[in-house]
Amino acid sequence: MKEGFRQAMAWLHTWAGLIFGWLLFAIFLTGTLSYFKGEITHWMQPEVPAHAVDDARSVAVAQRYLEQHAPTAARWFIGLPDSRDPGLSVMWQDKIDPGRRGNFIEKMLDPVSGEQLQARETMGGEFFYRFHFQLQMPHPWGRWLSTIAAMVMFVALITGIITHKKIFKDFFTFRPRKGQRSWLDGHNAVGVLVLPFHLMITYSSLVIFMTMVMPASIIASYDGDTRAFFNELFPATDNAPALGQPGKLLPLAPLVEQARAQWDGGHVGRLAVNNPGDVNASVNVSRAGSDRVVHDFGSTVSFNGNTGELLRVSAEQSLPMAIGGSFYGLHMGHFAGPLLRWLYFICGLAGTAMIGTGLVIWLGKRQLKHAKTGVMPFELRLVEVLNLASMSGLLIAIAVFFWANRLLPATFAERSDWEVQSFFIAWGLTLLHAMLRRGRRAWIEQLGLGAVLFMGVPLLNALTTSEHLGVSLAKGDWAMAGFDLTCLGSGLFLAWAAWKMQHRSAVQPRAERARPLTLKGEVH
Amino acid sequence: MLLALLLCYAGFVALCLSLDRHHGELLHSKPSPRRRLGLRVGGWLLLALSIWPAVHMAGWSRGLVDWCAVLMLSGLLLVLLLPYRPRLALILAGVGLLASPVAAFATL
Repeated sequence: MKEGFRQAMAWLHTWAGLIFGWLLFAIFLTGTLSYFKGEITHWMQPEVPAHAVDDARSVAVAQRYLEQHAPTAARWFIGLPDSRDPGLSVMWQDKIDPGRRGNFIEKMLDPVSGEQLQARETMGGEFFYRFHFQLQMPHPWGRWLSTIAAMVMFVALITGIITHKKIFKDFFTFRPRKGQRSWLDGHNAVGVLVLPFHLMITYSSLVIFMTMVMPASIIASYDGDTRAFFNELFPATDNAPALGQPGKLLPLAPLVEQARAQWDGGHVGRLAVNNPGDVNASVNVSRAGSDRVVHDFGSTVSFNGNTGELLRVSAEQSLPMAIGGSFYGLHMGHFAGPLLRWLYFICGLAGTAMIGTGLVIWLGKRQLKHAKTGVMPFELRLVEVLNLASMSGLLIAIAVFFWANRLLPATFAERSDWEVQSFFIAWGLTLLHAMLRRGRRAWIEQLGLGAVLFMGVPLLNALTTSEHLGVSLAKGDWAMAGFDLTCLGSGLFLAWAAWKMQHRSAVQPRAERARPLTLKGEVH
Repeated sequence: MLLALLLCYAGFVALCLSLDRHHGELLHSKPSPRRRLGLRVGGWLLLALSIWPAVHMAGWSRGLVDWCAVLMLSGLLLVLLLPYRPRLALILAGVGLLASPVAAFATL
C-alpha cells in the first residue's frame, strides 16, 4: 500500500514535471533575472550615468524641472534613484479623469545636472519581470497560465519530496561522472538543499495572485463587486481638490526629511504631488520597498504643499495584510542588499537547474531503451526538441535581447518593441534548429552559440558605449560592471557545458559497447 | 552573515561526517557509535547556534531570511566540494571553526 502510494506520487511527479517543465524553466530563469531588474535596466540604458545617491539633491532637481516644464499639471510623480538603478524619473499628468487611467508623460533626468536624458527606449529588466508572470500574452491569460504553472510546480515539489526515498541519508550525495546517476543526484541535491526557497517562491507566487485565483470569498462577501473589496483594501488617498487659486509650493526636500523621521530613518521610494500650482497642493511621500522584509502596500506620509503641515501618516497594516505582505516581500526580495540579492539569484538558478535536470532525466531514462537501434520514437524526439529550445534556446534568446539593445540604433522607430521581437525571433530560430539537427550536435551547437553570445556581451558593450569594464570598475559602478562580468561568467559556463558535451560524445562508442550487456540483463 | 555562514558550514560538515558513507570517504574509517552521536549532536547545535548571529546582526525578520539563505548556500557549497575537493571541504570547516571566534569579536 505504501509503495503503491509512492509510485503514484512518482508518476504524478514525472508527468506534471514534464508537461509544465519547459514553461517553468522559462518562468524560473526570467524570474531569477528579475532580481537584477534595476541593474539590467541600468546596463540597457548606458546613457543614464551613475552618481552617488543623494535624495535631497534628486528631489530638488526634479522639482525644478517639473516647475519649469509642467507647472499646470494635475499631478506629479517623482521616482528617486537608488544604488541599483540610477535614473531619476519624473512623470506628470495634465488632467485627471476619474475612473480612467490618464496620459502620463515620463522623462528621465540626470539627478545632478537636472538635464533631461535622451536614454534609448528599452524595456530593460522590466521585460524579464513582466514575462515571468505574463508570458507575453494578453491580459488575464498569461497570469492564469503562469499561476497554473506555479500550482503544478507546487504539486511537483510535494510529490518530489514524497518520491525521494532517502532524503536524510542522501542529503550530501552528489556523484559526478556517472551518467544518469549524476543527473538524478544533482536533481535531488539542488531540490533538497534549496527546498526552503523553492517552497517559499512557489507558495508566495500563489499568494500574490490569490485574489485572481480564488475570488470566491470576495465575491460572496461583496456581492460580486470585487472592485469594492479592493477599494476597501487600498483606500484611495483622498487628497483635497484644487481650489483654482495659485499657490506657492514649498521645497520638497525638507518634507522628504520629515517623512523619513516618521519612519525612523527609512528610505523614500517616490513622491506624488497633487495640484502642484494650487493653494490646495498636497504631497504624498511613499516609503521605498527596500526598507523591510514585510512589504507594506502603501506606507505614505502626506503634507500640505503650501504650509508644510503634516496631514496624515498611514496606519500600520493589519495582520492579514502583513502576512500577505511578507509573502510578497519574500518573493520580490526588494529588501535584499547586494550580498543577499546574489544569494537570491543563486537560489533562483538552483531552482532553474532543478527543473532542467528533471527534464534531462525524463528523456535520458527513456532514451536508454532506444540506444541500440539509434531510432527515436516521435514522442521522445519531440521532448528532445522542446528540451533544447526551452533551455539552451532560451539562453540564446536572452543573449540576443542584450545584443539587440546595443546593436539597434537609438533612433530606430519602436526599438523597444524590436528588442522584444528579436528575443522571440531568436527563440523561434533555436526551435527550428533543434528540429533540424540531431540531439547531441544540437546541444553542442546551441550551447556553443550561447557561450559566444554571452562572452561577447562585455566586448560589445566596450565597442558600442563608453561604459566598458575598465571605466565601470574604475568608477565603482558595480551594477554596470557586475552585468558585464556575469555575462562573461555565464558565457564561460556555457562554453564548459558545450565542451563537456563534445567530450562525452567522443567517448560514446566505448560506453555504447558496454551498454547492450546491461540492457540484455534487463530484458531477460 | 559571515559568522552564520561559518557556523552553518561547520555544522553541515559535522552532520555529513556522522553518516558512515561520507565518514569513510573523507576520513577512511567507520565512525564509532559515540563519535557518530557526537558529530550529529554537534552538527545540529552548530546549525541552531548559527541563527543567533544572523538575528543579532539584522533583527528577526531580516535575520531569519539571511539565515535561511546562508543555510541553503552552505549546504550547496559542501555538496559541490565533496566529490571534487574533499580535503578542501574538511579544511574549510576547520578553518571556519577556528576563525569563528575572531568573526564573533569583529562583528558582535
